[in-house]
Order: sequence, then structure tokens, then C-alpha cells
Amino acid sequence: MIAASKTQLRVRKLLVYVALLVLTATLLFPFFWMISTSFKPATDIFSKAPTLIPKDITLEHYRVLWTETQFPVFFRNSTIIALSTTFLTLGVGTFFAYGLSRFQFKGRRSFITLLFLSQMFPLVLLIIPIYLVFIHLELVNTHLSLVLSYGTFALPFSTLMLKSYFDGLPSELEEAALIDGCGPFGTIFRIVLPLSAPGIAAVGAFVFILAWQEFTFALTLTNTNEMRTLPVGISMMVGFRKVLWGQLMAASVMITLPVTVLFVYFQKYFISGMTMGSVKG
Amino acid sequence: MNRVSLPQVRFDSMNAATLRKTLLPYLLIAPGLLFVALLLIYPLISGVSAGFFFQERLGGERTFVWLDNYRQLLSDDIFVPAFKNTIIYTVAVVVLQYILGLTLALFLNEEFRGRGLFRSLMLVPWIVPTIAGVLSWRFMLSEQFGILNTALIKAGVLSRGIDWLGDPDVALFSVIITAAWKTTPFVAVVMLAALQAIERQMYESAVIDGAGSVQRFVYITLPGIKAVSTIVLLLTTIWTFNQFDVIYLMTKGGPANATQTIPIYTYLNAFSFRRFNYAAAIATVGLLMMLTVVVFIYRRNER
Repeated sequence: MIAASKTQLRVRKLLVYVALLVLTATLLFPFFWMISTSFKPATDIFSKAPTLIPKDITLEHYRVLWTETQFPVFFRNSTIIALSTTFLTLGVGTFFAYGLSRFQFKGRRSFITLLFLSQMFPLVLLIIPIYLVFIHLELVNTHLSLVLSYGTFALPFSTLMLKSYFDGLPSELEEAALIDGCGPFGTIFRIVLPLSAPGIAAVGAFVFILAWQEFTFALTLTNTNEMRTLPVGISMMVGFRKVLWGQLMAASVMITLPVTVLFVYFQKYFISGMTMGSVKG
Repeated sequence: MNRVSLPQVRFDSMNAATLRKTLLPYLLIAPGLLFVALLLIYPLISGVSAGFFFQERLGGERTFVWLDNYRQLLSDDIFVPAFKNTIIYTVAVVVLQYILGLTLALFLNEEFRGRGLFRSLMLVPWIVPTIAGVLSWRFMLSEQFGILNTALIKAGVLSRGIDWLGDPDVALFSVIITAAWKTTPFVAVVMLAALQAIERQMYESAVIDGAGSVQRFVYITLPGIKAVSTIVLLLTTIWTFNQFDVIYLMTKGGPANATQTIPIYTYLNAFSFRRFNYAAAIATVGLLMMLTVVVFIYRRNER
């Protein structure tokens, strides 16, 4: 009896392994193929019998990308915009979230609902009036226009995440600081912010990732190569007749790299951030 | 003298404190709220109302045309397929990624060595930036040099390559697969958390009572994940319905409008044909469709 159930368990485990291996391999293949192709010489990329792992490794695509294309400009623009968006969003969002988390006041519930609902506003509808207003303000084709428009998705999302983070922090320390005469802003700067630094950093990393790969606003609000970000710039490197897949895959690897580093570092927070909204309800 | 002034002072200072206390939260949320009002609420209202106007050119005179833009939609040869494609695309992607995500979550809920590694690895499609994921799929699906065609021909399944993104009969299918691939990890992670929230004891007592694995799944697992499933389905439906970048980067709505959807057609009307008012009307139809679905799912869940 016991022996039978032991083999049963073993078979079950083996099945789980095999199924997971197949599923994960399928999910990972496009990513793997992108990396592999980026190191292959053109003759291997366009061969009739491609190999999974490059036979000869070449860095040619990366060299061309960084020295002979506009890629460094796109990279610089993306970095400036993603960092600015992160700091702006955290600056506004932290106080927003703290206010919503720690105080009872008129309209509190409706503001929270509004933040939830705003995440389902169709982007293509919002972008029309935003574009027309930015044209009027002569903001089109500036970094500022992208930073402001990225706030439309980054601010509600990070405020909600930070709010749930503050909800989980005990408020005794803050009350003690207030009684000791620290003042509300002193309490925030000297007690709350240092205590919640890890949470704020994780939300910041999340915002950076979202801004780093944003495509639609960047496509609409920039119109010269000097201002384009990585996603739009790379999408415009796709030629009409001959597609330089090696170069495009190298660019794809480069845009993925910073995201992967941030993700590995903040993984624990990201997973709880992903599940937060849905599981807690 | 003292006895009179003391309550007076106390009353004043208390008043100031309450004032500060009632004003403080508003002060904290003011910048955020201002931002939301200017860049979310105003564009939403302005966008919806733009659908009721007509404008010859940007900055020209605006005339109120009531439902003319909407009437025009009914006889638009591209809007009708876009409407249909949006529904097919949304349903297919949502169902596919839910089934795949739940399957992954069920396997990852088992106890075995290397579970953490698998959980991290399967998140890859979700963290790879859309442009990189899409380009990789486009390369894999390319007719001449794509690995998919090469593999299928070698395996003897196909005699000649399929133009996965250029053939109107299969293009929508290809885009659906790519989109589902991208968000499956999200569903898996959230469903895994839901599975882990079910108490182990319930399964143990079910085993003692003689319940088989199918019965346990139907009577314990399914009810246990029902609430989270509803939210996941709601979220993924909204995201998929509104999705612009994946389809635009894959096919731009082509070939021959085979992958044309409401977000794509809205965007093309606004920024390629410069018909901002007409585009606003299309997007408003999309918003109404989505609201209907959300209210429907919400109501069903309430019951």
C-alpha cells in the first residue's frame, strides 16, 4: 500500500516536472531565440538550417547598433524619460498614497475608486485630447510631454501600490513622533519615508520598467529621431525590403537588459505587487 | 482671569489642530489629484465629447453634429470587421491565457525541488519589453527565415512556409498567440497566489473522506479560486480589449484589415487620417462595449 503510493507520488512528480519543462521552454523560446540570433553572423541567421546555439559568436550586430545607428540617442532619451517619470511619480504618488492611507476625509473612497477605474480608460481615447492640448502648449516632441503623459498610467498604479504598502505599516511610530512634536511633515520625512524606503524603491523600479517600454505615447508625441525613445526607435529600424534581424535582435536584447536587472533585484516585491490588487480584492 | 482665559486658549489651539488635521490630507493629495484631473479626467471627458463634433481641420471651427459620426460608423466598411475582430481577439486571448496561466499555476502549486526557479523563469515573457517580444515573434513567424516554418517543413507538417503575418486567414491567429504569450505569466502568478491561499487542511480532510483528485478539484479548488478568477478575467479583458501596441507592432491592423481592432482603427483615424472627431467616436463605442462587459461580469459576481 505504502509502496504503491510512493511510486504514485514519484510518477506524479515526474509528470509535473515534464509538463513544467515543456511549458516553460515554450514560454522562454522567443526570448532564447532573440539572444541566440543577436550573436549569429548574418549567414547563419538567413540559413535554411538554423542552429539553436550560434556556431560562431559575433558581436558585429552590437557594434553596428552602438556605433552606426541612432540607437545611443534612443537609449539616452529612454533613460532620461524613464528616470524623470519615476521621480515625478514617486514624488507626487508617495504623498497621495500616504494621504489616502492614513486619513479619513470626505471623498476618500471615491478617490480610491477613481484611481482603480482610471486604469481601464482606453489609452487611444485619452491620447487624442492629450495630443491636441500638447500641440497647443507646444510640448509635442519634448521629453516633458512624455514624462507628463506617462504619469497617466504610472501615477494611479504607483499610488495604489504605495497605499497598500502604507496600509501594512503600523502607525504607532508616527503617532509617537506627532506627540513628541515632530509635526506632520517632519513625521513624514523623518519617520515614514525612511521606514518605507524598500517599498518605495520597488514601486519606483516598477514605474521605471513601465516607462522604459512604453510605446503608444512615445510614437504619437515624438516626431524626430533626436527625441525618439527605444521602443519607437527600434520599431522604426525595421526595414521594408530587407530586415536586419541580427541587428533588431541585438537591440531587443539591449532594451531587455536593464529591465531584467531591475526585475531580478526586486522580484519578491514585483510578485507581491502583481498579486496585490487581485487577491486582496 | 486665569480661569476664564484657559478654556479660551485651549479652544483656540484645538481649533487650529483640527483645522490642520482636516486640511492636511487634502494638502497631501492635492498634487496627485490635480494631475489626475488634468491628464485623466479632462482628456476622458474631452475625448468623449469630441465624438459629437465635426472639424474640417485642426484648429478650425467646431460644429456640433450630434450623432453623425456614430451614424457614419454603421456604414464604415472597416469599422464593422474591426468590431468583430476586437471581440474575437479579446475572447481568444483572455481564454487562452487563463487556461495556460491556470495550468502553470496548478503545476507550480505542487511541492518539488526547483519550484522557485520555474516560477521566476516563466515570468520572462511578462518582463521582456513589448517591442522586444514582438520583434522576436515576428522573426520566428517570418515566412522565409522563420524558425517556425523551418521546423514545420522539416517535420513534414508543411510542404511550403506559411506567411503567418501576411496571410489574412492566419494573421489574427498569430497575433492572438503572441498577445497570450505576453500576459500568461501574470495570470499564472496571480492564480498561484489564489491556490496557495486555499487551506491545505481542506484537501487533507477531503482525502480522508475518500474524495478523488477530480472531486477535490471541482469541490475545493474551483470554488477556492472563483473570486480571484473573476478579477483576473475582468482585468485581462480590459487590458486585452484596450491593447494597442502588440497588434500595431505586429501588423498595424493588416493584412487587408484582418487584424483591425477598435483601438487600432481609432489610432489610425486620429493620427494617420487626422479625423480626430471620428476617431473619438470609435473609441467611445469601445469604451461603452467594455463598460457593458465589466458591469455584466460585476453583476454576475454580485449574485
